[in-house]
Formats: sequence, C-alpha cells, structure tokens
Amino acid sequence: MRNLKLPLAAAAVLALVLAGCGTTNERTSDNPQAASSKKCKGADGKYVIGMSQANVAEPYRQRMDDDIKAAAKDVPQFEVKFADAAQDNAKQVADVENYITQQVDLLIISPNEAKPLTAVVKKAYDKGIPVLVLDRKVEGDAYTGFIGGDNVEIGTQAGKYIAEKLLPNGGNVVELKGLAGATPQAERHEGFLAGIKENPKVKVIAAASGDWLREKGQAQMDALLKANPKIDVVFSHNDPMAEGAYLAAKAVGREKEMKFTGIDALPIPSGGIKAVEQGRLSATFTYPTNGKEAIAAAKKLLIDCGTIEKTQTLHTRLIDKSNATQIYAEENPNG
Amino acid sequence: MAEVAALVRMSGIGKRYGGVHACREIDFTLGAGEVHALLGENGAGKSTLMKILSGDVTDYDGRIELDGEPVTFAGPTDAQARGIAMIHQELDLVPGLSVADNIFLGRELRTPWRTVDRRRMEREARALLERSGVHLDPRRPVGELRVGEQQLVTIAKAISLDARVLIMDEPTSALTTTEVERLFVVIRELRRSGVGIVYISHRMEEIAQVADRATVLRNGQFVTSFDPRKLTTAEVVEAMVGRPVQTMFTTPETATGDELLRVENLAIKPRRPRPGRRDPDGISLSVRAGEIVGLAGLLGAGRTELLETLYGVAPGGARSGRIVLQGKEIQPRGPRHALSHGIGFVPEDRRASGLVLFHSILANTVVSSLPAYGRLGVIARRLERAASIRMADRLRLKFGRLQDDVGTLSGGNQQKVVFARMLLTEPKLLLLDEPTRGVDIGAKAEIYRLLGELAGQGIGVLLASSELPELVGVCDRVVVLRDGRDVASFSTADSGEGDLLAAAMGESAVFEEVGGPQ
Amino acid sequence: MTNAQDKPVAAERSVEVVGEPTAIAESSGGVVATLFRFQSVFGLLAVFVAAIIFSPRRDGAILFVSADNLANVVRAVSEIGIIAVGMTFVILIGGIDLSVGAVLGLAAVGSAVLMVESDWGLLPSVVLVLAVGLVFGALQGIATAMIGIQSFIVTLAGLQIARGLARIWSDGQGIAIAYGNGPHEAPDSFAILGERTFGGLVPIPVLIFAVVAVAAVMFLRVSAFSRHLYAVGGNEKAARLSGVPVVRVKVAVFAICGLLAALAGIVHAVQLNQGSPNDGQGYELDAIAAVVIGGTSLAGGRGSVAGTVAGALLLGVLNNILALNNIDSNIQLLIKGLVIVAAAALQRLRPTS
Repeated sequence: MRNLKLPLAAAAVLALVLAGCGTTNERTSDNPQAASSKKCKGADGKYVIGMSQANVAEPYRQRMDDDIKAAAKDVPQFEVKFADAAQDNAKQVADVENYITQQVDLLIISPNEAKPLTAVVKKAYDKGIPVLVLDRKVEGDAYTGFIGGDNVEIGTQAGKYIAEKLLPNGGNVVELKGLAGATPQAERHEGFLAGIKENPKVKVIAAASGDWLREKGQAQMDALLKANPKIDVVFSHNDPMAEGAYLAAKAVGREKEMKFTGIDALPIPSGGIKAVEQGRLSATFTYPTNGKEAIAAAKKLLIDCGTIEKTQTLHTRLIDKSNATQIYAEENPNG
Repeated sequence: MAEVAALVRMSGIGKRYGGVHACREIDFTLGAGEVHALLGENGAGKSTLMKILSGDVTDYDGRIELDGEPVTFAGPTDAQARGIAMIHQELDLVPGLSVADNIFLGRELRTPWRTVDRRRMEREARALLERSGVHLDPRRPVGELRVGEQQLVTIAKAISLDARVLIMDEPTSALTTTEVERLFVVIRELRRSGVGIVYISHRMEEIAQVADRATVLRNGQFVTSFDPRKLTTAEVVEAMVGRPVQTMFTTPETATGDELLRVENLAIKPRRPRPGRRDPDGISLSVRAGEIVGLAGLLGAGRTELLETLYGVAPGGARSGRIVLQGKEIQPRGPRHALSHGIGFVPEDRRASGLVLFHSILANTVVSSLPAYGRLGVIARRLERAASIRMADRLRLKFGRLQDDVGTLSGGNQQKVVFARMLLTEPKLLLLDEPTRGVDIGAKAEIYRLLGELAGQGIGVLLASSELPELVGVCDRVVVLRDGRDVASFSTADSGEGDLLAAAMGESAVFEEVGGPQ
Repeated sequence: MTNAQDKPVAAERSVEVVGEPTAIAESSGGVVATLFRFQSVFGLLAVFVAAIIFSPRRDGAILFVSADNLANVVRAVSEIGIIAVGMTFVILIGGIDLSVGAVLGLAAVGSAVLMVESDWGLLPSVVLVLAVGLVFGALQGIATAMIGIQSFIVTLAGLQIARGLARIWSDGQGIAIAYGNGPHEAPDSFAILGERTFGGLVPIPVLIFAVVAVAAVMFLRVSAFSRHLYAVGGNEKAARLSGVPVVRVKVAVFAICGLLAALAGIVHAVQLNQGSPNDGQGYELDAIAAVVIGGTSLAGGRGSVAGTVAGALLLGVLNNILALNNIDSNIQLLIKGLVIVAAAALQRLRPTS
C-alpha cells in the first residue's frame, strides 16, 4: 500500500510547496503613513475590520471583543470580524496572515505576546493596512496606534491606596501575582512597589503566583494563610485571584481580618465591580478594555480620514464601595 | 437416521462474500438428541453455515425452521434467546475477568439488592465446570489459563445457557485426550436430555466416537451425509478433499547425526509462582541432528514451559541443570539470543503470538531474518521478496500476492508462514508447540512432509503435541512429561499411542476407554 | 531413560494424510479497499477542492489559492507536521506521546537561552537542543519499554517534567531573540532560518517539514528498523518471539519523537523570535489528530507517515478556510472535532481484517 501512497502524498506536499513559491519578499517597505490614509474612503465606504484576539477564555478579553462589537454597531459602515488565537502565538500569527490575505481595511490586534507578533504586525502595516494595537504592545513602531492602559500606573494607584487608605498605620500585605513571565504581571508588581514606598510601615510579607486564575489564587492563598498568622491586606494582580483568595480566607473564617483588592474591574456580573459592590473586595482598579476607543480611532482613520495619536493611554479609575453601583450601571446602559 | 423430530431444518442456504460462494444451496437438519458432525476442510463453509444458524450472519439466502416454524434471527443474542448457542473456535472470553464472571457475562446473577452475587456465581460456575470434568478455580482470571483450559470454560459457558441447540466449532483442538473423553461424557449426557449438537472437527476418530450422523461440505456445497461408524477414515477424507487419499505419509528415514541438544536435569524455581504454570522440575532429554523428538503429556505437564525455557522466554526464576547445545552449555536469554544460536521456535497460538494478522505475508515472513536482505539497515526489496518466494515455494504456500494480509490465509497456510519465518533464520534446532492445531488436513500433511525434509537436512526438531497419532507418526522418539518431569521415553518404532497415554497419565490415573485405531 | 536411546535411527515415521491441499488464499483488494487506504489523501483533496469552492474572492481572484495564502497554510502546519511525523512512529508501535508540546516549549526556550543569554554559536546550540529532545524521548522510551509503564502515563509525566524544565531554564520568562553579532544576540545565520521564505521561494519551516517527512517516508520504506517497528505495533508478543529487539525499537522510537519535537521547537522559536516556556501547549493533541486523520491506527501496527502528512495538511487547509470565511472560533472548534470523529469513523468502516 505504501507503493502508491508515497507518490500521492509527495505530490500533495510538492503542490503546496510549489504553490507557496510565489511569496513576495516583504522586506521592502513602502511609506506606511501614506498607506494608512489610502484606505480612507469617507462615510460612503464600506469597511471590513479584522480583530485578532489573543485568547477569549479570559473574561477581560471576551469583554474587549464585546465592547468592540457594541461600539461597531453604531457605525453602519463597519463590519468587524473576530479571530481567537487561544493563547498560541503561532495561531495568532496565522490569524493575522489570514486577515492580510482577506485584505481587511483595518486590523485591530490584542497580542498574546509582543515579540512573536512584531513581524506579522509589521507585515500588515507595510502592506498598507492601518493597525491598532490594544492592551499589549508590539516592538518597534510599525503600527498606526497603540491604545492601552498603563499597568505601572495601575500598580502604583493600588499601592498608594493600600498605603494611604487601607493601612495608614502600616501592616502586612501579601501579593498574588499574575502568570510569571507576563508583562502586565511585572509592571503591576513594579508599580505596586513604588506605590507603597511612601509608607515604610507597610510590609510585603509574602508573594505567590496565581497565574491569573481564580482557583490558583485560592490554592495559593490557602498556603499563605497557613504560613502567615497575621495578614492585613491581600493585593491581587486581578479580580478573579482576589475572589479566590477571599474564598480561601472565608473557608478558615479569617475573611474579616483582612482586606482584598483586585485589578481589572470588569463591568460584568462575575467581575470585580460587583465584588466591590457586594463587599468582598475593598477596591479594584479599572483596566480599560479599549474596545470603544479602538472603534473610535478606526472611525477617525477610515471615515474621517484623520490621524490619531501614536500612543493613547487610558487611565485607571478606583472603584470602591462609594462608586461601584453607579459605574456598573454606566458601563451597562442596557441593563 | 432419526428424521422424525427435526429440531432444526436449514434448506437452500446460500451466502456470498464478494465473488466467493461460502455456502451454496445447503440443506442441513438436526434432530433433538442428535450429534451431527460437520466435516470439511478449512474454507468448506462449515463456519459460515453455523454462523448463519447462530445468528452471527443475518443476510443469507434460504430458510431456517426451528421446531417446524420458520425463523429469522436479528443477531446472536436473538438466536441464544431461542436456545441456539455456539462455542466459537476463537475463544470469546474476556481475559481480565474471572472464570465465573466470563461464564455469566451479560447475565450476571444478582442479589436481592441488585448487586452482583459473586458467591452464587462462583458456586454455580464450579458446579458447571465439574460437570464438564474440569477442576478450575472459578475465581481465576481467564487470561491466566492455558488455551485448553479456556476452551473448557467456553464449553461450560455454553452448557450453562441450557441451549436446545449447541454448536461446537472444534471444541477439542487444545484439549488432551483425557479432557476430550470427559467432554464426550458431557456430550452424551446432553444428547440424552434431548439437546441437538452440531459438532465440527478435523479429527476423524472423535467423530466416529461421538457423532450419530456426519455431513461433509466442500467448497460451500453439500457433498454427502453418512453414518460415521460405517465409513473408513480414508473414505471420509476422500469426500472432504474430493480426491483419493494418496498413501500413508512417511517421512524419509534419515540417519541421525551427532547430539545437538542435551538437557540435563533442567529445573526452574520461579521467582513468582504462577497458578496453572508448570515449570520444568527436573527434565533430561536429548535431540540429535536430523532427529524428530516428540514431547507428550497431559495439559499442564509442562511441555510449553519447557520449550519456552529453551527459547529463553519463560518468566524469570532460578535455573538449575544444564542446557547444552552442540557440546557448549548455553543460558537462553531471549529470542534473539536463541535465534543467534540456531534455535527457532513456533509458538502454540499463532494468532496471539505468532503473526501480525493484518500485516502482509512478506512482512511476517522476513521479520526474523531482516539483516540478511540488506546492508546498514537498508532492506533490498528484491532480496526479501526472493527469500519469501523461495520459502513459499518450498512450503507450498497457497497465496495470492506477497502483499496480502496474512490474516486472509487459511490456518494451515498461516502456520506455514510462521515456519517460513523460522526457516529463514537457518536454525539447527526447531522447537514446535502444537504446530498443527487448527490446521486442515491437507496443510497438516505438508507440515509433516516439511518436518521430514528438515530432519533430512540435519535439523533437530523438538515437537510438543497433544495429538498422539501425530507424535507416533512423525517422531523418531517421544519423551513423555508429567508434572514438569520426564517420565518416559519411547521409540515410535516399537510403541504406540496407548503406551504414551499410559505414561502421560501415570500409574495412579484410571485408564479410561481410549479410542483410536491401534 | 528407556530403550529408545540406543535406537537413534527411526524405523518408520508415518501418519495418515491426504493428497493435494486445497487451501485457498483470498487476496484483499478492490476499489473500495483502495479508497479507504488512501482515505487521508482523498480527504485532503476533498477539503482542498471545498476550500477553493468556498473561498472568499476579491476582484475575481480566489483568495485561498493565492500564493501568499498557500504559503501561509503550509507554514502554519509545519510545526505540527514535524511533531506528527514523530508521533506517527510512536503510535505505530501502539504507544502515545503526550509530551511533545512541552518538549517543543523546552526546545524553544533552550534555543533562546543558549543563543541569546549564553551566547553560544548556532551549531552547538542546535545540536544541544536536539540532543536534549533525543535524550528526553529516549528516557521516556526506557521507562515504558524496560519498566513497563504505559506510554500514556510516562509521557503524561514527561509533559509535566518538560514544562517544568522549560520554566526553570527560562526563569518563567519568554526570552526574546534578537539578531546580530553583539553580546546577547543570536547569530545572523540563525535569522536565515527565521526568514519567512528561503530565497523568496519556500518558507523555511515548510522546507524542514518536507525534508523530515520525505526522510521518514523513505526510512519506513527501506529500513529493517521500520519492519521491526510495525511488527512491535502489530503484535508485540509475536514480534518478541520472532527475535525483534522490542526494547531497542521502543526506546529508539520515543527518542526519534523527542528529537523531532525539539526540532519543531527550534523552528517555533525562530518563527516567533522568542522562546517561551508556555510554547506548544496542546500541540500534542493537534499532532495526534493529524495522525488519526492520516489513517494510522491508535492500536498500532497500521498506518503511514504519508497519511499523517496528508492529515496535517488537511487540518491546515481546514483551519485556513474556516478563518478566511471568518467562521466563529467556537464553531471552528466544533467543525474540527467533527472532522476528527469522521476520520476515525471511516477507519472503522474500512473493509477486511
């Protein structure tokens, strides 16, 4: 049976390989600035926007897609397509390649990681497709605009809040970190340390990595509770881990002894704003999804034929008991 | 012939597989309390006919009547519900389950709490087994049993179904003479209680002993029906084969040469004793070049275990005694070691341990001798094909193309492939374990012819078999084992099957009526 | 012993037998059987044709068959394809290797650490990384062949171990690969591998995949080892009794699989300019899917590398056409799942034996 199968399969491989032979050398780079505006056909045009999402399994990123979808609904000229890379850099590269093949009018990308996606983003940009990068940056400057939060700033705000509001007289803090190796994790940590510096009586007595996950946060907190008899504040790099930590403390009856803070403040039923409203978390800090802002930027580029800022940083907001209900309602105008 | 109470009447049965007629216009009846033997070479249509009767094959031509009522079966379970049970040649047992669990598989006995009532199942299984004359612990996993014992379990299982029609497809192929006798007692008992039995076998003498009527099929067609007690074996065989019987088969007499293998007081103390396994416990024997030495013994006498030890595949244990090959003592370490010393082995169960059934004849033939067909691990197809064809010719293998799956061959030709593989390693000594089991009579003759030829070339053969006529007819000498020891050695020139059997059973055993033409 | 020994020459050996045997050998064959044998190749053709039909068009051109897109398709399958070739070997002996994705991550990290952080040269780095994969696979082979642990368990453990090693080696960080001759830069020669195409012709990863696939097909055709491999997978007991070095075959097969996973890891690192300890998560399942679609039986002993190549390409074409049509990612998962089940179901329908 191998007699026949070999040539057949070889032919199949060969056909595909040969088909790939026409690939152009993409090292030549035309003028990207001019290219961006080429796409602008004003209000009468129809535009296809490709959105490449790193991973919709994270609630934050699903919300980002939802925000883009909702915002695009108000722009009849826009049709947005979504792709999910499922946390795989290689898959996201392929997703962007496919958008290039489809010749989308604008690319929005929320990269899984910076380095692996830099080349393919540049390729799209060099082909004249305007590129909006959300949340995580790529390297270099081969994109039209970056819209994102500032994780260092968020960490600093959280640190300050803990040092000034929660522990003015000092106390013990444990830190639940995000996935080791992830940039936001490093930046939130860095900002946090800067934020608590003002109050030397605030001590970080332990840190553990919860990989952004609620169940991991809970398990890590179980261990931290055993090891540390006195914990005053739990600073978590995101809301799900903070909720997990709260559950762990509750399980041993110590949830009243300490306060919990998170980051992200997603305006969804399982998100941090609700947790603050319901008293489980003392505070959380918004990490904007940038969805609305991305569509606004796209509109400016494609319909208004205008230009946008290369970098647009969205600032964080403190959510505590005083404003949680109101902000949740603002973010969900339709209930 | 009692045509009065036809329990089963099959008429005009036909079945095609592709272009091949497996059955063509066959009429077959079975009376209540009748043992009806079904004869024919492999591929004659016996199995297909019985698969139709047992509901295994549902698309066929013709009609089946049960008690005069036309019936069609949706499947084997349906047929079973109507009292038709079949004991398959391929033992359909679950190795991991116990004997009792297997017997009651799918109809487990329950306690009032609806849980499985193990105790009752074990008790009833024990009773059933004893009725079939077997002493087996019903709690033992079937996978630990030897093929013969497994066969007895399937028979017990079939009997437990309280079937009115019982189809036995070669039930004795792995049984020793004593067990066969016990089985016949059970069959006679069943017959008295009105059960109709279809008995498929290759062994003429069994049929003469147990059957009331015999039907011969050839190439999917009915040939003749006769009273088995009246026809000679030669006549039956002629009907089966469709040609006159040639002659008595005789291996050429060869002068045997120097001593090839000497086993002195070989004993194995197993690291972990396994139930039902009989390791060598003091065996001495020798095989000369060009000599065919038989190994006789009852089931569990340790024949297979001795061959496995010589081939180096027995489970580990402390070995005492000596194994001397051509004057040099060897410690068998495994198949590669044995093969490199010129020892070849044809295992008992060619499907489970001999062949890859869904691989080609070629691949199965050359697998032991691959380095011979190329250099640096690269095979020259031309060479391996040439070697395979040479062997196929020499063994008169009947096949279509070398690329065909070995599983498409008949049992006898499959066995020839195992032989061919071993012969390609150019062995000096061949260890054969039941080489003719489940092999049709024609192929059997060819295997005997081959053994004679090999002996003529100076190859020594150690042949373990349960078939006494085979041992007496083929071997120069027969060593009888009992309980892991050699208890007697006979020259076949001046002793017969009775002598072997008596030695195998030992003085204490009751000497039952031993049939067979002596 | 008795009187027999002083009569070494048999007086007569005889047994009753008959004339010419009439056993018939049926040869399997026919059109249907042929169709089944090349199932994955026909499947690939069918999906390819479907892709052309359902491809979005722009300015009259079929996007799917554009040169750029086809290059993307084959490049996207190359890593999975390389792994799947190794996986085919393992599955052919009736085993499974769940560690390949983690070994890919380990190798990607290894390449980056050695070249960027330790400033090793290209050749020593590649050789060491490949050796790590080879040894890792061989150890798994030893555990399954000599200790007798099922390969599923061994490689499940291996997955954890490789992932852990990758995290330790990289300090849990993705390590970016920059090129140049300075310190903490990978040699430019490595960047040639990373060039998206080779001489403007074939994407490099595809070239590597093609070489691996052709080598594997040739290897399975001509080597004695491949016969042993099929025999072990077909009937291990029979293979052992036939004198096949079963342990050696198993260890070698797992070693090859580990080596190819490491090779895929190097390709991965160079394509993405980064080695991250989380790379390759779930790749083992994609590789198994390619092997199964390619018609290799998980029971062992039956299948081919050519089928696997077709299976991997089929998955790649499928992924691509679904993406080009912007099928919702959740629906894509359903469709891919159904394709795998359909391929397996076809296996069951295959005629003979």
